[in-house]
Amino acid sequence: MTQALREHPQGAAVPAFALRGVGKSYPGVTALADIDLEAFPGEVLAICGANGAGKSTMAKMIAGQEQPSTGRVEIAGRSTPITSPADAESAGVLLMHQEPLVIEDFTVEENVWLRRISSAGSNRPWRRLRRGSDPRTRGALDAVGLTDVSPDTPARELGPGPRQMLALSRTQVVEHRVLLLDETTASTTEEHFRDVLDLVDRERAAGVCVVFVSHRMDEVFAMADRIAVMRSGRLVDVLRTADTTPGAVIDLMIGESVAALEPLSLPVRPDEEPLLEVEDLAAGSAREVTLRVGPGEVVGVYGLVGSGRSSVARSITGHQPRLAGRVRLRGRDVDARSPRAALRAGLAYLTEDRRREGFVPAFTNGENMTLSTLPAFATRGVLRGGAERRRVQQLIGEFQVKGGPRTLTRTLSGGNQQKVILAKWLEAAPQVLVLDEPTKGIDVGARANIYEIVRALAAQGRGVLVVTSEAEEALVLCNRVLIMRDGRLVDEFRPATSTTDDLIRAALGGDTA
Amino acid sequence: MTDVTAAPSRRPSPGRAGFGRWAKEQYPLYILLVLLVIAGFSSDAFFTSRNLTNLVLQTSVIGIVTLAQFLIVLTGGIDISVGSVVGLSGVLAAGLFSGSSVVLAVVVAIAVGALIGTLNGYLVAFRGLEPFIVTLGMLALARGLVYAYTEGSPVRPEAEDFRSIATATVAGFPVIGLIWLGLAVAIAFLARGTVFGRRVYAVGSSKDAAHASGVPVKATLVAVYAMAGVMVGFAGFLLASRVGAGTPTAGNLYELDSIAAVVIGGAALAGGKGRVFGAVVGTLIFAVITNLLVLLNVSTFLQDAFRGGLILLAVVLTTFRFSRGGTGSRR
Repeated sequence: MTQALREHPQGAAVPAFALRGVGKSYPGVTALADIDLEAFPGEVLAICGANGAGKSTMAKMIAGQEQPSTGRVEIAGRSTPITSPADAESAGVLLMHQEPLVIEDFTVEENVWLRRISSAGSNRPWRRLRRGSDPRTRGALDAVGLTDVSPDTPARELGPGPRQMLALSRTQVVEHRVLLLDETTASTTEEHFRDVLDLVDRERAAGVCVVFVSHRMDEVFAMADRIAVMRSGRLVDVLRTADTTPGAVIDLMIGESVAALEPLSLPVRPDEEPLLEVEDLAAGSAREVTLRVGPGEVVGVYGLVGSGRSSVARSITGHQPRLAGRVRLRGRDVDARSPRAALRAGLAYLTEDRRREGFVPAFTNGENMTLSTLPAFATRGVLRGGAERRRVQQLIGEFQVKGGPRTLTRTLSGGNQQKVILAKWLEAAPQVLVLDEPTKGIDVGARANIYEIVRALAAQGRGVLVVTSEAEEALVLCNRVLIMRDGRLVDEFRPATSTTDDLIRAALGGDTA
Repeated sequence: MTDVTAAPSRRPSPGRAGFGRWAKEQYPLYILLVLLVIAGFSSDAFFTSRNLTNLVLQTSVIGIVTLAQFLIVLTGGIDISVGSVVGLSGVLAAGLFSGSSVVLAVVVAIAVGALIGTLNGYLVAFRGLEPFIVTLGMLALARGLVYAYTEGSPVRPEAEDFRSIATATVAGFPVIGLIWLGLAVAIAFLARGTVFGRRVYAVGSSKDAAHASGVPVKATLVAVYAMAGVMVGFAGFLLASRVGAGTPTAGNLYELDSIAAVVIGGAALAGGKGRVFGAVVGTLIFAVITNLLVLLNVSTFLQDAFRGGLILLAVVLTTFRFSRGGTGSRR
């Protein structure tokens, strides 16, 4: 059955693309081994796997950005195998990267037509670019839900979600037969989820072969016709979505069953002195935010993009200026104007933007883990190498980081990077840890690890504030969930008595029935 | 952004297992060894104690300037004012107080360097200006002051022992060379063995990540520029001491030589990567080739062309090293 499913679901037809015995190895590592896979026009194929399973490598190979070490990649309408990005492009392959390819200094319109600009340059580079709006631009933007974004807006002004959608708008203006979405939805939030879904439906109806790489079961099951599951560089199985369940796919991805995450039922201790008190805080788009976090408590802030949830997290911890309000830690006022000051007061912040400010790219795991607490490993400014090494070795074990102390953090998967960053913050022993989208772009296995670490921290009597755009995460991880809408906290839920539906409705506002 | 320029694997481990990897990264050292072999075969005069002493004397000042440049490049910055500051601190050391005391001259030179370095650092760190532009302005400003002060002719100090530091030797080895090597060891220790050094690397690799991790980014930057200024100022005194006068053209084009030496030594101009050892080797490569060209009676104009070609060659070699290390091994 498995074998049959690797070929066409309905019978003989020309596949949109085919991988034939494809393998990829780097010195010392086999990223992919012996993959045989076909996909057909008008089909949506999901490629699932934990981080590091090789799914992105596979997508890059179909797009010609990586060349297979063995085997070959074939695309419909081309007799020769794909050996470069240009080959794949001319064969009609459109790849959407995990990080949206958007040029900040260009307008939204110029970004929509980016491909056209580059190809027009090849025959008449001196040609003056047409001024004024192309009517098709509006259509392309509307098609991806960016109805209220003007084509003249500089792309710089868009947030991460709209940027991703902007990149996706190119599907409307670039002809293609195969659309590859490489974890495109990792940085989009629930509000754009519908738009992506609609887009994929239209693509399928138009006879495009859509391949999307993901580890989010909700979107996989909402979109895909077939699911290719990968584990450690191998294609484990190809399943028809209708015949399987998320649990079964996750089991295949990690190779063993993980216990389902139970909602947290730690006792809330309202009688104790709160650790963190925030009063009438205003920052960015957030207004009049008042909240408290008690010892041993995990408090969630759930809201949509632009609701001001990150502004709360960042302004409390000195990453963004505070316009008004007070922050108290154990009853003492904290006016942190920099991350350094916040850290000294006992407030740490796990960033949403892991690549930019989560870790130092040139540093090893060990160096990243100790960066915030270096003086503790030094005598009068001189590092005690042995002490540092021993501590790092311990932390690597405790946090189950893959790779050793001397591995560069940036070469790890997202989940392991996040563990390194968490280790750094916990090493600083903060009273309150603020987490901003702690599991963004992180696979199921590592996610469970991270939840465990957060719970263990709470169990020690520290406070945790979790800012998230995933309703499920809010319910699983937190004792209380505050809802943020249009810059204000509007509601509060207890996980034991609420559902993700309740949270999403509250975040969207009363007008949704 | 820095992804592209950062080396795929950095820092050899001191253990035996790391030696192979260390050896693979030592392109500059191999260039130097090849140059030494060529020098030995092509000129009988090269490996004579007199020539080698001369070589050390000529190299030490630019060597110290290169160490200063190295620290700044580590932070992702660049300092093109070093040559002018060498000139300014040199003429002021020789001229202020009539150059009557060596100690006073050293103090003056270091103070001049520290002042300019701190100002550079303040403008870069607190006013958020590009290091290139700030130090470009400082280059013109300092050199202009040199010409205004000297009116174009060398300044002769009164102190008779003004040349003593530059001419002294210990067991036949020039003191000025010992000062250079001592400073190199000190900077290497600072970079690798201290909290400050670790922070310099962090700032150079990603200012955002360093800031978010509680590293005092601005203070670190100012400290680096100030320290570099002190070293450059001192180098200015040493050069004046070697020549016996503060000359208005002293330090001309040192910025280019020091930047080239740092880059040839394997440091990334984007910051966050580099070793002192590499910077020292880079300096020596330059010194040996200049010395050799003089011994071979190559015209001064062609010498510049040779050195320019060498910079390009060395930089091209580093790109081979990057691609062979394989950025593709991610994931």
